[in-house]
Formats: sequence, C-alpha cells, structure tokens
Amino acid sequence: MSATGNPRKRQQPPTPATPSPQLKHQAVMEEEDFDEDVFLEETLLQYEEEDSQRRALADRLAKWKRPALSPSLLSQSQNIVFQQLEIDYVIGDSHKELLPSSSGPAAIIRIFGVTKEGHSVCCLVHGFEPYFYISCPPGMGPDDISHFHQILEGRMREANRNSKVPKFVRRIELVQRRSIMYYQQQGSQPFLKIVVALPTMVTSCRGILDRGIQIDGLDLISHVPEGEFSKMAPFRILSFDIECAGRKGLFPEPTHDPVIQVANLVTLQGEDQPFVRNVMTLKSCAPIVGVDVMSFDTEKELLLAWRDFIREVDPDIIIGYNICKFDLPYLIQRAEVLGIAEFPVLGRIRNSRVRVKDTTFSSRQYGTRESKEVTVEGRLQFDLLQAMQRDHKLSSYSLNSVSAHFLNEQKEDVHHSIISDLQNGNSETRRRLAVYCLKELNICYAYLPQRLLDKLMFVYNYVEMARVTGVPFSFLLSRGQSIKVLSQLLRKAKQKNLVIPNVKQAGSEQGTYEGATVLEARAGFYEKPIATLDFASLYPSIMMAYNLCYCTLVTPEDARKLNLPPECVNKTPSGETFVKSNLQKGILPEILEELLAARKRAKADLKEAKDPLEKAVLDGRQLALKISANSVYGFTGATIGQLPCLEISSSVTSYGRQMIEHTKKLVEDKFTVLGGYEHNAEVIYGDTDSVMVQFGVSSVDEAMNLGREAADYISGTFIKPIKLEFEKVYYPYLLISKKRYAGLYWTNPKKFDKMDTKERDVPGAVQYVKNTISDLLMNRMDLSLLVITKGLTKTGDDYEVKAAHVELAERMRKRDAATAPNVGDRVPYVIIKAAKGAKAYERSEDPIYVLENNIPIDPHYYLENQISKPLLRIFEPILKNASKELLQGSHTRSISISTPSNSGIMKFAKKQLTCIGCKALISNSDHTLCSHCKGREAELYCKSIANVAELEELFGRLWTQCQECQGSLHQDVLCTSAYFAQPRLSNILSEKKSTERHGRSQATIGSMELLILEDLVVDVKMQQACNPACRDILFSVLAESFSMAISRGYPGAFYEHLNIPKMSFY
Amino acid sequence: MAAAAPMEVDSGNGVVQRKQSIYKSMDESFEIQKEMYRGQQYSQIYFARLHLMRTLLYSLLPTWKPHLPICTVLGLEEGKECIIVGTLYKHMKLKPSILDEYSKERSASPLVKAHNFVHSDDYLVLEDESGRVKLRGSLLLPSVYVTGIVVALHGKETGAGDFMVEDILEAGLPHQIELPLNSGEDKYVAFVSGLSVGSSSANPLHFQLFVDHITGHLGDEKEQGIAAQIVQVVVAGNSVEFPRGLLNGQNLGSKDQSRLSEPIKELDILLTQIAAGIPLDIMPGTGDPANFSLPQQPLHKCLFPGSAAYNTFRSCTNPHSFELDNVRFLGTSGQNIEDLAKYSDAKSKLEFMERTLRWRHLAPTAPNTLGCYPFTDRDPFFIEKCPHVYFVGNQEKYESSLIKGSDGQVVRLICIPRLLKQELLSWDDLNRLRANSNAN
Repeated sequence: MSATGNPRKRQQPPTPATPSPQLKHQAVMEEEDFDEDVFLEETLLQYEEEDSQRRALADRLAKWKRPALSPSLLSQSQNIVFQQLEIDYVIGDSHKELLPSSSGPAAIIRIFGVTKEGHSVCCLVHGFEPYFYISCPPGMGPDDISHFHQILEGRMREANRNSKVPKFVRRIELVQRRSIMYYQQQGSQPFLKIVVALPTMVTSCRGILDRGIQIDGLDLISHVPEGEFSKMAPFRILSFDIECAGRKGLFPEPTHDPVIQVANLVTLQGEDQPFVRNVMTLKSCAPIVGVDVMSFDTEKELLLAWRDFIREVDPDIIIGYNICKFDLPYLIQRAEVLGIAEFPVLGRIRNSRVRVKDTTFSSRQYGTRESKEVTVEGRLQFDLLQAMQRDHKLSSYSLNSVSAHFLNEQKEDVHHSIISDLQNGNSETRRRLAVYCLKELNICYAYLPQRLLDKLMFVYNYVEMARVTGVPFSFLLSRGQSIKVLSQLLRKAKQKNLVIPNVKQAGSEQGTYEGATVLEARAGFYEKPIATLDFASLYPSIMMAYNLCYCTLVTPEDARKLNLPPECVNKTPSGETFVKSNLQKGILPEILEELLAARKRAKADLKEAKDPLEKAVLDGRQLALKISANSVYGFTGATIGQLPCLEISSSVTSYGRQMIEHTKKLVEDKFTVLGGYEHNAEVIYGDTDSVMVQFGVSSVDEAMNLGREAADYISGTFIKPIKLEFEKVYYPYLLISKKRYAGLYWTNPKKFDKMDTKERDVPGAVQYVKNTISDLLMNRMDLSLLVITKGLTKTGDDYEVKAAHVELAERMRKRDAATAPNVGDRVPYVIIKAAKGAKAYERSEDPIYVLENNIPIDPHYYLENQISKPLLRIFEPILKNASKELLQGSHTRSISISTPSNSGIMKFAKKQLTCIGCKALISNSDHTLCSHCKGREAELYCKSIANVAELEELFGRLWTQCQECQGSLHQDVLCTSAYFAQPRLSNILSEKKSTERHGRSQATIGSMELLILEDLVVDVKMQQACNPACRDILFSVLAESFSMAISRGYPGAFYEHLNIPKMSFY
Repeated sequence: MAAAAPMEVDSGNGVVQRKQSIYKSMDESFEIQKEMYRGQQYSQIYFARLHLMRTLLYSLLPTWKPHLPICTVLGLEEGKECIIVGTLYKHMKLKPSILDEYSKERSASPLVKAHNFVHSDDYLVLEDESGRVKLRGSLLLPSVYVTGIVVALHGKETGAGDFMVEDILEAGLPHQIELPLNSGEDKYVAFVSGLSVGSSSANPLHFQLFVDHITGHLGDEKEQGIAAQIVQVVVAGNSVEFPRGLLNGQNLGSKDQSRLSEPIKELDILLTQIAAGIPLDIMPGTGDPANFSLPQQPLHKCLFPGSAAYNTFRSCTNPHSFELDNVRFLGTSGQNIEDLAKYSDAKSKLEFMERTLRWRHLAPTAPNTLGCYPFTDRDPFFIEKCPHVYFVGNQEKYESSLIKGSDGQVVRLICIPRLLKQELLSWDDLNRLRANSNAN
C-alpha cells in the first residue's frame, strides 16, 4: 500500500471503484453513528452490572465525551471535512450496496481523522483492489487471458487451501505500461494487470509468477495544507505514564509486578492547558490540587477504568515517553496475566483487540532498534523517545536528561525500587508517587506543546515530511529513509504509467563503486585568508542537471542498437549513458526538484521567522528535507535496498569528482598573475563538495570578493542547477590533514563568526598542553573528562571487531543485567590499567565502577591514543620537534597512580598518620603537624578551611537544586537522598578525613569544631543517577576530592569508605 | 558577660578615661555546637521556619481578618475566600543552576555572573506541607518577595487552580525590649568592614590611620574625647583578602605559603593594637578563612596569635548579636542583603534590611540561594526579639535610617561600607540610636 499520511482534508474521497459520491458519503455517516452507538451501549452495560461507585466513575468519564453531532451532520446535508491521521486496512466482507458486483472478503481501507469541530471520523473506503503487473509474454494475446486466469486461480487455491475466498484473482487486464528501468524508445508495451482479492495475496501470487510486479494503492487527491486547510483539527492528545511496583533490584515485569498508577493528561491541539488531568491509583491516594484522583481497590478495576477512560475520551494521538516499548505493552501483557480479556479493546473500532508484536527496525542511519509494536486502531502513537532518538544525538535519552537538555528543567527521578515502598505506605506516600507520575507527564507534555517544538510545529513538521514523501505519519517514526524515496517513486511512477520491477534482494554482489574525491591536503598553517567554495546540494543537483534516473539510463546494448544522437545523451565520466530530459524526463530529478523546492520554502520561512523556537523547527524541517534529498542518491546506491542502481550512484560520484577537479583547474588557471590578478591562487584542499582556495590576498575583504567572483565564474560553466557558492573565509587557517582543519570563520569582513581555534599564542598553548599532560599523569584529571562515550548500535555478536564499548556492555550485563546498557544506548567508559599486553577493549570500564573500586586509569593510553595524535597533528605544522617538546620532558616524569581499593595487597597495608604540612610520619596521634611545621598553623588552617567552605557551598547549591527539581521545599528529596547526598557526603568525608586530624589535636591547632569534622555517618543508599548532568557532577566532585586528597599526600586507601552503590544508565 | 578593663586614651594634657559599658553576647543561637552534616536535608529548616512563623501569624489573624476561615493549600476550594499560610517560593527564569555549570561545555565562555536575576516572568508560589499553589494578583509583587518567606495570604482559588491574592499579612517587627533610659553620657560603637588586608588595592597607611584614630592617637582634644567614648569596635567581615588561585587544594610552594599567611599576620598586628585599647568583636565574612555557610562560625584563634591573647578580643559568629548596656545589636557581614539584592529589587539596601525585619527573618533566601547549615530542629535566622541597632557590613556606601514599628519599636539601620572603598567609619551612638559616619 502506498497510501499516504498527508494532512489531507478530503471532502468526498474520490475512490476509483466507488460507484457514487452520494453513497460514499453515506458510508462515512454510518461510521459516525456507529461510533456513537458504541459509547451508548458501553455505558448502558455498565450501569446494569456495576455498583454505584462504578457509576460515579462513568459519570466522571462522561464529562470528557466528544461533542455531540450537530443536526446538519446527522441529516447529511453537510460535507464532512476532516484531517487524516492514521490509515490502515482490514479484511472484511465487501460492501453489498457500494460494490454489488463483488463478494467475499476484501481489503477495506480505514482512514481515521478528526473534523474541525472535534468529531471523530472513521472513513471506510471500499473497493480497494490490490494489483500488480507482469510484463506480457510475447505472443500472448487478449484471448489467452481467460485461460491464464484459470491456471493462476488454480495455483492460488493450491497455495492457500484454508482460505475461504471465493475468487482469488479478481481479473486480469491487458494494459499498456512501461518499466521504469532503462530508457526505452517506444512509449509502452503490453503488461498484464492482475487484480487480486486481498493485499496479502499479492506476495503469494507474485511468488507463483516470480515476475516483476507493481502494487499500487489509492490515488487520492488531497488538499494542500494551505489557507483554510492549514489549520489543524482539534486533535485530542493523550499523554500517559504508568508506574509499576517493581521488586527490589529488578526491572518490573508484567508477569509479576502490578501496575499501581496511571496518570493521564488530555489536551486539545492548539490549547495550552490540558482539559483532563487525572491519576488512577491502586489503593487510596490523598488528593492533589487540580488533579482528579481516582482510586481503585483492585488492579483489574484500575485497568478497566483506564480502558473506559480511553474509550470515552477517545484520543487521536497518544504520546508519552517510551510508551511504545514499555507502557503500552506492559499494560496489555499485565491484563493478559491477570486474565482480563476485555481490557485490550482500546482502539476506535469496536471489539477490536490491540495487538502487540516485536519488531526490529534496522537502518543504516539510525542503527538497529528493537521495539514493540502495539497497534491501537485509529489512534496514532507518538513516542517521544523514538522521536528524540531519531532526531537528536544525545548522550542519554532518559526523560530527565532530555528535559534537562531542551527545557533546562530537571525532574526528580524515583527509582523503581522506591516505588514499591511508596505504594506500600499510606495514602500520603501514594500521593507523593502520583505527583511524581504527573510531573513526568508534564515534562513530556511541556515538551511537545510549549517549549521544544510547539506541538503544532511538531505535528506540522512531520506532516510536511509526510506530505512531501507520501508515507504515513507513523512510518516517519518507525521506518528508515528508503521507504520515503520508494514511496515517492511509486507515486510518480503511477502518474507516468510506469511500473517498478520487483528486484530480488541481490545482496552485495553487485560490487561497489568509487566514492567522492578528496583533493590532497597541503597541510600547514595559513596566515592568509582562505576562501571556501561550496557546491550547494551537490549530489541532488548532479542528478537533476544530468537527468540521472532509472528511466533515462541506456543500457550498453540499447545504446548500440538505438543509435541515439550524441546531443540527446549524456555520457557520464563513469561510462554510463543517460538520455537528456528532452527525450525523457527522469523521475528522480523530478522528486528532487520537489524536495528542494520544499526546502527552499522552509529556508525562506526560516529567514522570516522571529521566534527562536519557530526558527529551530523550520531549520529542522529544511534539514530533514535536505537529508531526504541526499537519501535519494543513497537509495540508488543501497545494494540491499529496494531498487539499487549502481549506474546512477557511480555516475553521481564520478560527476562530483570531476567537478571538484574542474573547479580546481579553473581557479588555478584564471586567478593568476598572468590573468591580471595580484597573486596566483592556489587550491590547498578540496573535499566532497567544497574547495579551499588561497587567493594570496591578505585581507578578508579581498578574499571574499575574489571568492564571490570565482564562484560566479565557475558556476557559469556548469549545467543548472549545479551551483558553486561562496560562503565563508577562514582566516587564519590550520590545515592538519584530510578532513581535519580549524580556523577562524568569517562570513562578514568586519567580524568573525566563531572561533574555531585558540589564540595563536604558541608558547601559551604549549604550556597549557604540558600542564594538562602533567595533570593527567599525576591523576589529577577530572575523571569525567576522560570518559569516552560510544553508541551501542548492535549487540556484541554482531560486531565483527571487538570494540571497547561493546565488550564493556557485555561485561556489565554479566554483572547486573538490569542496569547494563542496551542497544541504542550510549555507553560511557574509561580505559583502566591492566596487565601488560591487554587489548584496549579488555581495559574499558564503567566510570562509576572505576570510582567505586578506585581502579587506576591508564594515563598512557589517553596520552598515546587520545591526546598525542591529535596534538601532534595540530602542533606539527607550527612547532618544530612537537613530539619531543610536548610529550617528553620534566612534566611527564612524576606519575601518580591511585591504588585500587579492591586489590589484595592493600588489605595488608597499615595506615599511618602524616603531617598535613610536610607529609612526615608522625607518631603522636594527638597532633596534626610535625614539630617542624608548627609555625605554619595559620596557613594550613586557611587551606583546610577554604576546602571546607568550597564544599559547603557545593552542598548548599546541590541540595537546593534537588529541591528545585523536586518542586517542593517542605518535603524530603526522594531520589537524591540517594543521589546528590552521596557525592556530596563522600566528598565531605574525604575532607573530614584530612581535617579530622586537625580536630583530634585540639591542643595544637585548637578546636576545628567546624560542622563537618566529627563523625560523619554515611548510611544513605544511593539509588540511581538522576541524569547525566548529575552524573557529571558526581564524577567531577569525586575526582576533585581525589585530587585534593592526593595533593595532601593521602593514599587512596581510605576511599574504601566511599561506598557508592551502583548507578544505572538507562 | 565580659566587662572591659579600664583603659586610657593618650592625650597631651592629661589622660582621658575611656568609657565602658556592659557587654553581653547573644551569639549562642548562631553557634554550631553538636550539629554535624549527617545527610540532613533542607526540608527540615523550612519546616521549622514554617512552624515558627505560622504559630506567630495565626496569633495575628484574629486582629487582621477574624471572619475568614483558615485553609491549607490542599483544602482550597474554588471561589471560597480564605486565608492560607505558607512559605513563598519564587520561580525565577534567570536563576542560575549548578547543573548548567557542570553540564554545559566547560571550556566555552565562562558563565556570565549577573548582578540581578529578577525577570518580569518570575512568579510566586505558596507552599505548605500539603502542596503548592501558584499565586496571582497585582498586590503581591514577585520582584519584592523571595523564596523562603512565610506569609499569610487572603484570597480565593480561581478556576485555573491559581490563588488570587487579595491581601497579604507579614509578621511585622518583633517585640522589642525597652530602650534603657538615657544615662546622660555619650557612648559610641565603631563599625568597620571590608578591611581587605592583603588585597592589592589596600593601603597600609589607611589601616594605621584608622587604628590610630579610634585608639585616640590622632586628632585634637575634641576628637580624642570622641575616641574615648568608643566602647566597642565591631569588625563586620572581609578583613583579609587572599590572592586568588592560592587555595585550590594544590600543594603550595614556599613562596606561596608566605603569601597565604602574610595578610593574616598583618591583620593580627592591627587587631592587637585595637584590642589593647578597646573591646573588639571580629565577625567572619565571605572572604575570610571561615566556613561558607551561614551562620559562619568564629574565626579560629590560631589565626590571631597576637590579639587572641587579650580578653578584649572576641571572635564572633556571623550573624552576630550582642547587648551593650541593654541596647541590642544584630548584624551580619552582608551576605543576607547581598543575596536579596540578587534575587529581588528595592530602592536601597536599607529597604532590604527593613524587609528582613518585617518578614522577621534575617536571611529568608537561606538555604535556597544563600548557603546555610541544614538545621533540623530550629531556624536560627528567625528574629525573635527586635534589635535596637541592625547593621550589615560590606556595603557599597554608608546609609542609615531609623524605622518605627507599630508597637513603638525603634530600630536604627546601618549599612557599613567597605573600608577599602569608602574609607569611612560608622559610628553609632548607644544612647540616642544616633548614627553618623566619619571620614577617615
């Protein structure tokens, strides 16, 4: 099906096989009445069988019903205009009235949508006929069709014995069509159009025939979302979140752990405030301001109440965080475990059950993601987690970190093991939990509508994408790029009477082709302005300029046979032949034109947009369109894709290479002293679609003028729409090697836009580097700065080469499966010291584990692999003997490695007191200072107290931040009694250890009766890291206390007191 | 209680006897004795504050609006007029977050330190143990109030779940002990703050002039007469300034070691000269070698080997409270007012000071934005008794005013400038609550 997910507002769906619009209209109306009936019946039923409490609930729910249908709608005097959201098909009996000619099961397309007034619409389109084409064997005439039909019908019946379909192959027609592959001179050739009863039969029938086919779907006319139709229908958007009572240390599983709370927010599209805000809880719950709290005694009642709620409120879009993977499947599986058969009837279609299936989504761009697909008919699911993972690269996708990233708002995180305790408490603690649950929603919510992407824009953005590419809304989230390209191809092909062959998955045997070119980089430091000439959307432009398409490709034999005049064909540098657009306009160029036109519109809007949010949205849109345009090229080159055509992709890259070379030549030929210019221009570097030129002039202004001149001059030599643009000047510019460069970026001769490098203070830079290296070797480096993060895109077995982060993920899974990173997560790790010869991937370790066990990191790994290479790359062009200067010398001599607290040898070590001033051993435990350092009391006191002050400040700020996140001053912070306290306390603890000794020797230094110094009991159990930001603080605070302790001469041994329990990343 | 020994002021023609007075320290509530960091949270201090203030506000309600019912936030009903009592929380758009400092790119541009974080989008929320409610109404200006104040509000819940405020009741000035009768003789207390010994812009000559002045080694007979009337010197914070970057936990070279102890030594010499003549209270401030959180604990005696030998030398807490001849003094080294100035607006520092008295809380923004020890059972910043003199140190300029309470309370407010900046000395007349300043 190539049905589309456009925001279409349709009046009368002009379906091909619909007998009359009037009848069609009636079908829609029937559907509406039908929906109403469902609700009436349901509520009636409940009144009969349930007690008064139940009735009260039903009354409550009734408030949120959809508006009543107006008489004009009921009397069918008004056209129904609605916005389409979901589209799918079901198998049902064909409609007797609408399609009197056919019988038996047929595919019925359902379009779900909402009208302007907020009425829910389900439009059933009858008469959809799945079909495909086979090319007509030579010699087969119209007379042979019926015979062929019989044979095929027989074979189909054999293959589908259980089926009760009266007629598999509806009919076979002889039509004139043309294949999309290769340029053909004759207009078209005969094809057989085979129409079958059900869409699923296409595959089996095709299997029988083993021939090229084309299925095609609806050809609907949609309203362009402009003017009146650009308004959005008032969708009902439900945001929900569930809480489960997990068992200690285990992630909740539907087979064991009850659902204890469900929080819901329902908002009408376009409104700020939700109109329904409620929480359903298991067991009593104290009231919450502004929230409707409903309590139930059993889980069954809770689940059923939620079901009723869904059906009554009838949301069009269901959003939430990780709902597709967790919340929805959990509810359904839980209902299954409890044996509530009537629960999973959540869709808009009466009595139709929600289905759950596992899906694996694999895409080159997004990696492999496992997910659960829950089909709730007629309700669009929009999982924000998926949207985030898809559109943004973040180090963590926990709701908390996402909200911290975009909204600058933290939320407290209640770990699932606390949830059970709260649930088992009283109604107050359950209230606490409910508030937490709602807060999560609010963030989810505040997300969509107000801050990140104004919900309208979010929907618009996807709607725009869906409109341009012609795939359903839900595909945008769940499928990769190629489906978009394919969908556009199908659309265009249908218009042009072309059919698309069914190419068998050929694997990678088709071989590869040469990629983009990179001109040799002339490494060095350039003190003159470097102008950068960029090709705008190079690959799409090439495809448009040279009319590269499936249907314009001429095979070598055809080329010889057809003897096309040379002025009508383009011979590409890779040796392929394509006809020019005057003979045959390609489909791909047309698609690209549309995409780029849409992008141009978005860019124009972007220029006018004022609001930063709107800007961000438009920018996202134009970027998405750019990616789509570029993916067309990728589509032709994807050897395991739908329709690979390496002739196209290799031609594209060959043209690209040629153009870069051509540009280089033109620039160096024209801008010479001989040509009347002051200096000889020099191309110092060129990448896929850009060329860096040194014109030799010394001012940015002149370089800009020359750059513009060159761009215009060279653009003139290319076929439209290939265009060379002058964008920016780098001055000064440091070219290290291919793909690595830095420079000050100028787009305006007056001031530079951003600083890409540090100041050109070479001695200063050298000193900075030396200090950093020394810090690293001295173990003074903040551990968080040493964390390397890599995304886990597949499981260990799928990786061919052992990678550090994959190995670590495996190891963590063995330690604690519940908290180990999953596919799709980003894995942070550090490299630790290990036995000689151990491979890097064996030495990766979880940073938290490293801190917990005080495992020494391997400074040399960082020095050699992470630091020295890039450093030398940067410094070599500007510094002689860079390696010797930077990486060897006195600053690398002193090395301090922390002693692991879990190693055996430390158990035998005896701790002894040393003087705070000079580290000499002191025997008298009443003193803090040795006799030699006595005179330095004041100084040493100042130092210690400065540390205390610093810690106190941090303590105060962190705790109040926690209160802020929690949103309450008078209640204890939950997650963090847990979290923040720990780094804080541990920090103070280490502090205490050093100052305690001051305290003990009150005789000498007097009483350091400062707060912190006495016994400090750390019995707080850390539950979980709130979010990455908190985690970073943990790292740096710990690292800081480490380095502080180290500088005071304390061996790492006492860190065994730092009992930081495991944190989990999710 | 400590009475200063009789001391003399030199004079050309004979000896002027220095006046004396009876000193009583009231710092006990600011001292941290057995309290320790055991993982307490700040909810407890807020709870203690709410409890104290609520009892107080409830006692005022019968005279304020006796006819209205009292509600909790949770018990609010739409449209019903009532009184709620709770802690204010100000939601601030510009409030800096520590998480930003850590999570944003560290090397990228340093975080801009704004002077004032007030924004027109700020709004107030009232919170009690039961919940929070957003406040509306033109009466309650978000720019005036800060997080942590406990007030009683009259109003009703609107349809949107907000509380429309119609009237506000603050606790007002506390009860004041009666000012002792004028004994006829003038006695002065000298305040000084922000000595900043060791700072690059400090001038040792100024310090010496200041010391000579109050000890009576300078000026004519009249001036010496005045100097003789000084019965107490209060050093209100920021007495030393360390070179930046010295105290970062790294080992110091021997040169830096002396740089660190030099200012302290210098200060000790100055203080010894004063303490030899006049009773001296020294309070810690932000820049001093003391702990960070309020209440700051007294500077350690090991820092002052010279002056600590005198019994006239007292190292005090910040905030600091004492009585001289039954005149009560209360003051801080300035952090509380400094923080209010960051998170709210007022015409002058004196207005901030007056507000804290009327709110009956010395440091309402602690612990929210002002570092504070997590007390569990009390709130030491609650002002139980009204002082006669209320001073804050380390302000930009000298300012003073007299405010009167509804029960006849009279309070002298003084902003003490930084010595370094203004070279001014603040004087306070013990008997008539007169304040004046004196150029050095």
